[in-house]
Formats: sequence, structure tokens, C-alpha cells
Amino acid sequence: MNGHVKSMHFQQLMETAAALLSLLLVMAVDSTRTVAASRNQECGNSLQQTLKLTRLVQKESVDLIKTYKASQGEMAELFCKVTVADVPDPNISGLEPSERLASISIHLQAFFPHFKRVYEQQTDLQSPTSPLLAELTTVSTRSKNLATLINSFYQSLFPNLPVPEPAGGPTTLPPPQNVFQQKVYGCVVLKTYKELLANVSRELRTLKNKPIYGI
Amino acid sequence: MVPKRVLQLLVLACLASALRAGGELYNHLVITPQSPVLEIGTNFTATCMIINTDEITAKDLYWNLSDITVSNKQYTKINSSSLSVTIPVIGEKHEWLFCFCKEVSNYVYLNRSKFRHGIILTKGYRPGKPENLSCEAVQVKMEISSTITCVWKKVGRSSTDVPTKYTLYVKELGRNHSKETNGNSSQVNLEIFPHHMPMEIWVEAHNKLGRIESGHLSKDADSFVKTNPPSDIKVISEKTFPTSLLINWTHPIAEEYLKLTYQIRFCQNGSQSWTYVPLVDTDKYIQSFRLQNLRPDTVYVIQVCCKNARRGHGYWSNWSTNATMRTPEGIPKGKPDLWRIITKVDGVNERQVRFITKDPVFANGRIQRFHIKIQDKKDKVKSRSEEWERIPVNRSEADGSSSQREITFLKQIDLADERSVRVYVTAFNSVGESAQASLFIPDKAYGVWDLAPVEGLNLSSHGGQLWLEWKAPKNKAVSEYVVEWAANGWTDWQRENRTTTHTVIKGNLEKFVCYTVSVHPVYSGWTGKPASVQAFVEEGAPLEGPEIVDRKLGRNDVELVWKEIPQDKRRGFITKYTIFYKNGSKTHSVTVPANTTSYTLTSLSGNTRYDAWISASTIGGSARSLNHSFWTLKYAAGEIEGIVVGVSLGFLFIVLMTMLLCIYKKDVIKENFWPQIPNPGESTIGTWSPHHPVKADTPKENCLSGISVLDVDVCDGKCVFEEDKASLPLKKDKYLSEEHSSGIGGSSCMSSPRQSVSDSDEGGDMADTTASTVQYSSVMASNGYKGQTPSSQPQQAIFSRSESTQPLLDSEENPDMLLQEGSKHSQRFPRQPCFTHTAQNKDSTDPADCHQREMEQQELLEPLDFYPLEEDSEQTTPTEGQSADWLPAAPASSYMPQRGGYRPQ
Repeated sequence: MNGHVKSMHFQQLMETAAALLSLLLVMAVDSTRTVAASRNQECGNSLQQTLKLTRLVQKESVDLIKTYKASQGEMAELFCKVTVADVPDPNISGLEPSERLASISIHLQAFFPHFKRVYEQQTDLQSPTSPLLAELTTVSTRSKNLATLINSFYQSLFPNLPVPEPAGGPTTLPPPQNVFQQKVYGCVVLKTYKELLANVSRELRTLKNKPIYGI
Repeated sequence: MVPKRVLQLLVLACLASALRAGGELYNHLVITPQSPVLEIGTNFTATCMIINTDEITAKDLYWNLSDITVSNKQYTKINSSSLSVTIPVIGEKHEWLFCFCKEVSNYVYLNRSKFRHGIILTKGYRPGKPENLSCEAVQVKMEISSTITCVWKKVGRSSTDVPTKYTLYVKELGRNHSKETNGNSSQVNLEIFPHHMPMEIWVEAHNKLGRIESGHLSKDADSFVKTNPPSDIKVISEKTFPTSLLINWTHPIAEEYLKLTYQIRFCQNGSQSWTYVPLVDTDKYIQSFRLQNLRPDTVYVIQVCCKNARRGHGYWSNWSTNATMRTPEGIPKGKPDLWRIITKVDGVNERQVRFITKDPVFANGRIQRFHIKIQDKKDKVKSRSEEWERIPVNRSEADGSSSQREITFLKQIDLADERSVRVYVTAFNSVGESAQASLFIPDKAYGVWDLAPVEGLNLSSHGGQLWLEWKAPKNKAVSEYVVEWAANGWTDWQRENRTTTHTVIKGNLEKFVCYTVSVHPVYSGWTGKPASVQAFVEEGAPLEGPEIVDRKLGRNDVELVWKEIPQDKRRGFITKYTIFYKNGSKTHSVTVPANTTSYTLTSLSGNTRYDAWISASTIGGSARSLNHSFWTLKYAAGEIEGIVVGVSLGFLFIVLMTMLLCIYKKDVIKENFWPQIPNPGESTIGTWSPHHPVKADTPKENCLSGISVLDVDVCDGKCVFEEDKASLPLKKDKYLSEEHSSGIGGSSCMSSPRQSVSDSDEGGDMADTTASTVQYSSVMASNGYKGQTPSSQPQQAIFSRSESTQPLLDSEENPDMLLQEGSKHSQRFPRQPCFTHTAQNKDSTDPADCHQREMEQQELLEPLDFYPLEEDSEQTTPTEGQSADWLPAAPASSYMPQRGGYRPQ
């Protein structure tokens, strides 16, 4: 009898515990979902802003190339068709989203010294009031903003991963060049950067269509 | 609090030890804290410490705040060498706080400067937290400016000694910017505007007493953007859509920078009442929009603005410049507003009817013509066959949306009183024809008896508008009302629905103009009798005063007549006239009602100049006439005539009285003016001498005188008559005439008719003679002879004459004197009663009586030398034969000749 009673009590206790456990499980799942949704929304906004900024830089880089070509005189189209070494690769590498985001950041940062070099070269070639210099500054600064934003986005997504930095040390800049080489170099840098931005934009759109918590 | 105090003491201890090490160059008193900045409204505690001396103790110390010693109640003795004081921090001005030592010893006295120490108290307020921070980055060219401007509201007070400064912080991702200012706004220049980047902005208020930050604005950078309004706004009007306009514009900034949303508003040209397109329709990144449900042929003004499309982010740009476009014309909606003006034609039983109309309310274009048809009610069939009359109109390119519709005169007809007609009108624009408007003009009798007017029409003016109120006519169903107002030959009207009992006139009414406002009830198209009132929107003072056109002057009054002010110059209802009149410096006034055009001023002074003027008053003021001067009359009307008549009557009365007096008192007058002087002509003295006999014919001459005749006639008429006859031939005997003339100039003898006749040829000589010579004569005869002479020989008086030039004595001139003197020559006196008696009692001319009395007198006068003739009898009883010839000269009859001859005394 006692044993039966004990068995009954145990059974009731087990049922209550199961109910509580179920409740806790539901709450936990719900909480996780809420956190995930919140995180997802936050990430979505951040990604959206990053994408907008990428498009803006892309648009400005297109305008910059036009301005560059217009300010380089004759044979400007020819300059841009020449291949130049020591210009960063516009292609995004990596398989995982984190790797690709890191690649974007690294590539963007890789262009900063080149922008600086082009600006220095064009400062010698253009008048101080040339719109090319202003646009170069704008694109350069905007690119830094983009890189910062992507890094921030990267950190928000992958807080435990290190901040992406160029793997091969400082970017290699070309040796001193003559004016022609400078003009060619500048155009190639801008053109390559534009390609990079196009790739970045594409990559971000791809990311946009994926749930972040699934990354 | 305790740690603070401990810290202070620790500092003091350190300071003291340091000073001790420094030797005697330092003060013996030190205050801590040094140069504090104090918050106003708090308490401040300072401590004074004695160092490097044993001359004084804490009880010898005291505190001064500026020049005032602080009460020792505020002191706190920390130990024998330290004294603290606590004071409230009041006022913004900085003050000195001194620690002094009483001069308790010569050392202290001699080293006073070492026994004092002071600190300056700088006072201020803690900074307040800035509020309402807002930042804005505006568009420059095709980009957003890199300069961001922020404004905020300062909170709390700031003193001069402790000013509050503000630092604006702008934090981008990875970069920070800041700028300090004293004001409530600042600008931060960024390298580029960080589109799509997060940004954090705040402002920090800080001073020596602390620092505090405002709330942080952590937003996307685009939240602070204010772009330019859309540019190149184009409005397209399409003929096939008369109620629609298409708007196109250009984005002010590229989409990559900012995605925008738009807002559109529009209004009719000239109106400031904007209609906003709902945001749900334009809350998109669009570059065109179609406005619908607009009025055809109406000019619209359209504006567009934009902002960041992200909800709650960014600022609306300013509105774009006006884009104006007219909608295409459409078919007129509604019907023309047809009305009529009926004028009575004098002398004939006709009315003059003028048809006028306004365009349909929704003309939807420029009305180009009207078609009118007038149909006689009694001849409908015939009229149906009549064609419409086409009345073209030439309208200006005015905006069809104008609230004031133009009035078009259509046609004028003369309509017999017994006729009634129906009028139809349609309006045309370039697109089509309006609905038909119709109006009945009833015959006069019908209009009078069956179409009752509204009742209780009341009109008032408020706020430059005229408000009407009326009651609907009883027992009649009104279909609508027509409110008509007319002034200065201009008529306008508006229609009100059947339920309206009060309205406001919607036309442009002018101030100071008298409007006749009529309300016509319309009964199923038939216009009823109007009820009319007059009113002004606003009354003013008349433009001119009334004109004084006439005056009727009196001695103490004057009637002034003036002309009413012309209607167009009244500018209000005349409430009263005030007549002012001034005599000298005193001005009087009289107020008369407005319906008066004449007034009589009374109580004026006669023969006085007055200035008068008339002031006409309205509610809005008054205007006076020109001065009108007049003199009151010296005499009142009829006064002169009265005086003349009175004087004339008085004169007449006097004359009459005189005449009566003369008549009734003629003997007295005669006696006074023509005293009885003996006729020298009959005097025998001139010829008398003892040797010269008395002429026998003299008595005959004498008998010719009236007096003698009368006397004789009375006494012995028969005798006289005979003598008269006998003496006729002698009448023209000049000699006798001269001989018997008395020759006295003014005497009665000279005025005897006989003498006048006889002396007619030599009157001048006679006058000279009488002037130079006074002939004295005396009657020598007496009655004593009378009775002795036979009847054929009449009694003759003897007349003596003197040729003396000596003037007559008074006794001779005035018999009264003689009487008084009892002279013997005053023979007339006894005769007087007889004369008087005769004169006064003509009826009782009893000769016997008279004769008897004479006889008695004669008896009494018998002792006298002369017996006077009875002159009275001469005048009063002339003979009939003599009366015609002699009566006019009779009063100047001479004396009766003396016939008795001389009688010796």
C-alpha cells in the first residue's frame, strides 16, 4: 500500500516536473527566438546600411572615374585599359560568410594606400581646385567609412573572431612612376576599386537574402 | 563630509609643515581652501590656521567677509591653532574672505601684515543640462554639406565669474569631432557627410563647478539631413482631362545619398488656402504625380517638398517655388444666374424690364455667349417657334475661379402691366452649353396680390459686412430667396435656399455707400414682392454740410432753410442737424431732427449780425455747412406800417380835434386871433372936422359890409337890405374903398372882402401904406343916434380916422386888456355875451331877445363914447344875397360903419 502510495506520489511529482520542464523549454525556445529575431533585425538594419553605403561609394567611384578620365586629357580611355601590377585584387575570397566579409574588409583597406598615392600623384598633376581631388578625397573617406561599417558589421556578427586585417602586411605600392604611368596607375586603381565595390555589393545582397543566425 | 574635512586638515598640515620649513618670510595665518569656486546657494566653510608662532591662539582670530566682520556664532574652533567659519554663498559678485588676528601683543602689533590672510570667493552656478538639442545638415549643390549645425536650449543660470561653456560632440563610427562655444548653437565640420553611417551627437555644458551632458542623438547620419526642395517642377495640362494636372519634378539629390519621400500641396491662384495631397499617396520615391478632381479652367499653384524617406528621420525641405498652370476648359456646370430689374415707366401702364445674368457658378471656362428666349405666357405655342437670341460676350482672360462673377446685361423690354413672360437663358463656353435658367415675370396684379414678401427684414453691419435676417412669408412655399442690393445705379444679387432666414451679403460692399437691400421670395420661379431696407456697411462723416438755401429775416428771429446733403455725399444716415449761430463770441446751438429742412431761430437781437452754420451728423461724424451771415431787421415786419398808420391816425385825430375845436371854439379863436378892431375905413376921424360934414353916403358904403348888413339884418334887416341895394353901385368905387379901408396891415379891417376887391389893383401899395402908416380911427358915433335916424336913413356910425404913424396901443390890439383895464374903449366886452350867445345858440336866434339884451347893454353902455357893432351878427347871420359872394371873406369883416355922425361929448 505504502509502496503504491509512494509510487503514486512519485508519478505525480514526475508529471509536475515534466510540465515545468516543458514550460521552461518553451520559454527558453521563445526567448531564443526573440533574441534571434532582435539580433536578426539589428543585423538586418546594419546590413542594409552597409549595402546603401556600398552603393553610394560605388556610385561615387563611377563618378570619380568619369571625372578622372575627363581630367587626364587625351587617351584617357587608353590609360584605363592597361594592366598594372601591384593593384589589389577586386575579387572577394573565402567560402564562409565570415571569410568573405573579412575578405571584403581586407580588400577595402588594401586600397587606402593606393588612393593616397593616386591623390598625391594627381595633386601634382591637377590644379588645387580640381574636382578630381575633391572626389578622390570623398571616395577615399567614404571607403574608410565603408570599411569601418563592414568591420563593425563583422564584429557584430562574429564577435569572437579577430578583426580582419591584411594578411600579407602593409600593401605594396608601386615604385616611382612617370606621369603617364601615374595616369595609368590612377585609372587602374579606380577601375579596380569599382570592381571591388561591385563585388562587395553583390556579396552583401547575397548576405541579405540569408538569415544571419544561419550564417 | 568627514573625509572632506579630514582632507582639508591634511592639506593644512602639509601646508603648515611646508611653511615652517620656509622660515619667517611667510604669514602666521593661512586659510584653506585657497581660491575656491563656490556654488551660489550653498554654505562654504573655510579654516584659518596659525603657523610658526605661539603669540596667538585660535581665540584671538576673527573673520571678515569683505569689510564686514563675520559673527562669531559662525565660527568653529577646531583646535587651539585653527578656527573655521561657515558662511552662506550669496550673490554672484566675488568677495574676499579675511582671517585677522586681534592685536594681543606688541609682536602682533608690529607684524600686523603677517597676522592676516585672505582668499577670494568666486561664485557661480552649476551648469544646467542642455535641452532640445537638434542638428541639421543642409544640402549644398548636389550633396549634403559636411558641416552639421546644432542648436540647443540653455538651462540654468550662469554668472560672470563662473561662465558656462558648451561643447558640441559629434561622434562618427571611428571618428570624433567637438567644438566649444559660449552660445546655444555650434557647427562641426566633418570631412564628408557620413551618409548611411551611425552618428551620435550631444552637447556638454561645463564650468568650474561641474559639467553635464545633454541627451545623446544616436541616429543614422541621414536623420539630420535637410535637402533642397525638388527642382524643375513642371505641370502639364491635358485637354482631355479638364479636372487634372500632371506634375513632374527632379530629385534634389541622388538616391544613393538619400531616398526621399514627397509632399504636394496646391491652391487656386490668389488663394492662400492650400490643399495637401495625402501623404499616403506621395510617400514614395516618385518624380511625378497627377492631381485630380480639380476645377476646369482654373489656375492652380502647386508646390512640392521632400524629406528622408525613412519614417521619423530627417527634416522636410522648404517648399519648392510655385508651379502655376490652368486646367483645361470643361462644359459649364449648373445654369446661369438670371435676374431682372423692373422699373416703372411713368405715364403708361408698362414696366421696363432689364434682364441681367451672371455666369454659371461652375462656368468651367470663359463664357463666350448667352442665348436668351422670352416667351409670352399667353402665347406659348407661338413662342416655341421663336429662335433663341444670341448675345455674345467678350470676357477678359480672368481666372474663372474668381469669387465675383461678372454681371452681363442681356436684354431690355417694355412689358405691359397685364402681361407676364417667361425668360430662358443658357451660357456657352468653348466646350459646350450650360443648363437652362428660367425666370418668370408675372403681371403686375398677380405680383401684388399673390406673391407675398418676406416679413421682419432686419439688416445689420458687422465686420465690414451686411447681415440680413428675415422671416419666411406665411402661407406660401418659397422655393428660394434672391437677396438684391443696389447703390449708385449698380445692382447685384445672390441666391439663398428656401430654408435660409439669415445670410451675409457676399459682394464687395464699399464703405460709406447707402445700399438698398431687398429680399425677393421666389415661388416656383415666380418672383414675389420684395422687402427692402437701406443700410451702410460703415458710416462716416458727410463729405459736405447742408447748404443753406434761404432765410427769412425778422427782427428777433430768422428762419433758415437748407437743402439736404446729396445722397452720395451723406456717407451715413443723418441723425440730426445742429444749427449753430454766433453773435460776437458767443455761440448758440440748436439740434433739430434729421427730417427737418428749415428752422426758425428765435430770441435774436434786432439789427444784429449773426453767423450761422448747420452741422449734419451721422454715426460716423458730422460735417458743417459754410458760414451764413445775416443781419436781423431793425424793425419787425409791419412795425413801420404801424408807426405810419399810427402817426397818420394821430395826425388825423389832431386835425379833426383842431377842426372840431375850431368849429366849436371859433369865436374864442376869432377873438384871440382876430381881435375886434374898429375899422379905420369907416372911421370918420380922417375926414372929420367941425367944418366938414359927415358924408351922407358913407353909411351906404358901410351898409355893403357883411357885418353891417348882418347887424342890421338882425336888428333891422329891412333897412339893411335896402341900403344894400342902394350901395351896390358903390362897390366898385375905388375911392370909397380906399377911403373906408382901415389901412391897418394885419387887422381885420384890411381883410374885409370889400376892401380886398376894391384894392385888388393896388394891393401892393396898400400893403406898403399899412406897413408904414398906422391909421388910427375911432368910432365917433353911438347908438344914441340909432333910434333917432329914420328908417330910410339907417343908423350911421361916425368913424374917425387918424393918420398917425404911431403903433396901436395894446389896448387897441387886445380888447381883453381893455376890459381888464376898464378902459372906455373896451366896448366889445359887453358885446361878447351877445356874440357868444348867438354863436352857441343859433337855434335861439330870437331877434327880439337879442335886441332886448342889446338894448339893455346899450343902456349900460350909454355913458360910453362908442357903441360897437355887433360883429357876431355879421358872421352868423349873413343875408342870403350876400352869402354867396361874401361869405368866404366874411370872417375878416370890417367894422360896422358909424352912422350917427359925431356926437359931441
